[in-house]
Amino acid sequence: MPGGDPGPGASASPGLAFLVWKKMAQATMVRRKGGFLRWWALTPLVLALLFMIPVLLLQIYLSLHQWTAYLGPWWTSDFVGLDLFWQVLTEDRFLRAIARSFVFAGTSTLLSVLIGFGLAYLLQSPFPGRGFYYMFFIIPMLTVPVVVGYNFQMLLYQSGPVNHILSLLVPGEVRISWLGEAVPAFASLVFIETWNWTPFVMIIMLAGLVSMPKEPVEAARVLGASRRQIFFYVTLPLMKPVLVLVIILRFLEALAEFPKFWTVTQGGPGTFTETIPVYLYLTSWDYFNVSKAAAMSYVILLVVGTIIYIAIRLLLKQKRSLDTMFTRSGG
Amino acid sequence: MKRQTRRKLFSVARYVLLSMWLIVATFPTYWMVATSFKLPEQWLAWPPVWFPSPPTLKNYIAVWTGTPIMATGALLPEINIDVFRALMNSIVIAGGSTLLSVAIGLLLAYGVSRYQVLPEGRLFNLLILRMMPPIVIAIPLVIWYSTLKLLDTWHGLIIIYTITTLPYSVWMIKSFIDEVPEEMEQAAQLLGASQVQAIVKIVVPLIRSGVVATCMFILILTWSEYLLGLVMTAGEAQTLPVQLSKFEGTQEGRLFGLQAALSIGVTIPLIIIGILIHKHLVRGFSFGMIRRQ
Repeated sequence: MPGGDPGPGASASPGLAFLVWKKMAQATMVRRKGGFLRWWALTPLVLALLFMIPVLLLQIYLSLHQWTAYLGPWWTSDFVGLDLFWQVLTEDRFLRAIARSFVFAGTSTLLSVLIGFGLAYLLQSPFPGRGFYYMFFIIPMLTVPVVVGYNFQMLLYQSGPVNHILSLLVPGEVRISWLGEAVPAFASLVFIETWNWTPFVMIIMLAGLVSMPKEPVEAARVLGASRRQIFFYVTLPLMKPVLVLVIILRFLEALAEFPKFWTVTQGGPGTFTETIPVYLYLTSWDYFNVSKAAAMSYVILLVVGTIIYIAIRLLLKQKRSLDTMFTRSGG
Repeated sequence: MKRQTRRKLFSVARYVLLSMWLIVATFPTYWMVATSFKLPEQWLAWPPVWFPSPPTLKNYIAVWTGTPIMATGALLPEINIDVFRALMNSIVIAGGSTLLSVAIGLLLAYGVSRYQVLPEGRLFNLLILRMMPPIVIAIPLVIWYSTLKLLDTWHGLIIIYTITTLPYSVWMIKSFIDEVPEEMEQAAQLLGASQVQAIVKIVVPLIRSGVVATCMFILILTWSEYLLGLVMTAGEAQTLPVQLSKFEGTQEGRLFGLQAALSIGVTIPLIIIGILIHKHLVRGFSFGMIRRQ
């Protein structure tokens, strides 16, 4: 490029201009990179949400129309307005399933929080064998839920090991039909859920206990507080954000629990262990009443949605104190 | 003196209580392992057989090669499941959705952590995706998938698993990125590194183990997912947990041994992964809100 080649005398000013241009370019590049990143970071999320929108629209459509899968495509079904909602809301079986779900989630959450907190409390200070216990305690949480279900079916089988152990402990032969009778079946499921997720509570509680600020406990001890007083008036209040987090996550997960119910009892005996997910599954995939299931889904969406809204508010509020607690000790 | 005896008492009580829970926590898993080595006659025996004697590998061979198994002279009902295809499906679907979820999560987490592309409170709403019971959207999802011809395909399941695990990957990775001081990147840029170089040379090495832990954590979730796998597959793309439920036949003729043998194959990888990343499990399950122990 003979014309464009700057002579040795002219090199100073274009060089300066080039430098300025480079600096400016760098500045905008950095800003543009942010913008570029902004675009790339959000695209998948927006795509995912766009992908889910038809699902929600379809849900509304189905809940307002009576569609029977084998009579024709869904867009030819009859409009029935809010009939289905009325039908669903006055149905005994549905309301019972909701109540049962809440009882199940409540009791299993309570039990796993109590046991999990207890275990974390016992494991909080180092002692020989602590790592050993920890490793074995987290195994239930890592087991695939379907496998958990089948495992307990083997254990609770009428001539299975659980009844045998009970027979050894009490006089006479115990032959409880754990999964064949109403109350034992429900209690078994609560126990299975508790067994499965106690490690989750334990590891989170343990993390909380270990990274809790030490000074308040020390101060209370110096002031002569007893172990129990320290626990109830110092440890527990300090652990509140962690407790809130655990209870919320556990409760919502238990409400949505399906695999264990499906593998262990399928809602039986009768409908006695039928929770919301099981009833919804049966309605749409066993009775093929898709529209009714859609209406039920909407009712549940509203109920659970409200809980989630409150839960997210609560979590956001607790997150601040959790963040300070864990960045302090995180190091 | 009194204090010392009390401490000793506490220590003993601690071992007793922990050992009691140890039995409760591990017995079901022990029973699964034991049953998988038992001969068919012992699966349902009363009194139960505590130790398989003699231990046999028949169940494993039957499950993984598809040969029918003999029990007291009679052939047990044959189970027509293609375990290797299920294994393949599980690996592709769980692996694919994990990689995708973590890649998207990485971008989003970096964007939020460094450029606030979304306010944190808004990003928090992502948890709705996780907290909503999947069964609630299962029906319209299946219809939507059948119009898109995504039912019973690998990519169909990969898409939905990616979406449902996104909250976990974003929040977990974000907690790792938040731990890298922004000043380090700025310092690198002052020393002449470009933005991309700063990310590649400073941030990536620092969060590498965190990203690996996130991958493993998401793998645990996608590998064990059951409900969506059940309703969105019909035979081609069925994953291992879904195939496992095929063993459910008649209540009395249960194939406990075979079921246990396959269960072990499904579970062992997760237990190994989980124990490898046990330090990060807390962070994963708490969406990064709780860091280390």
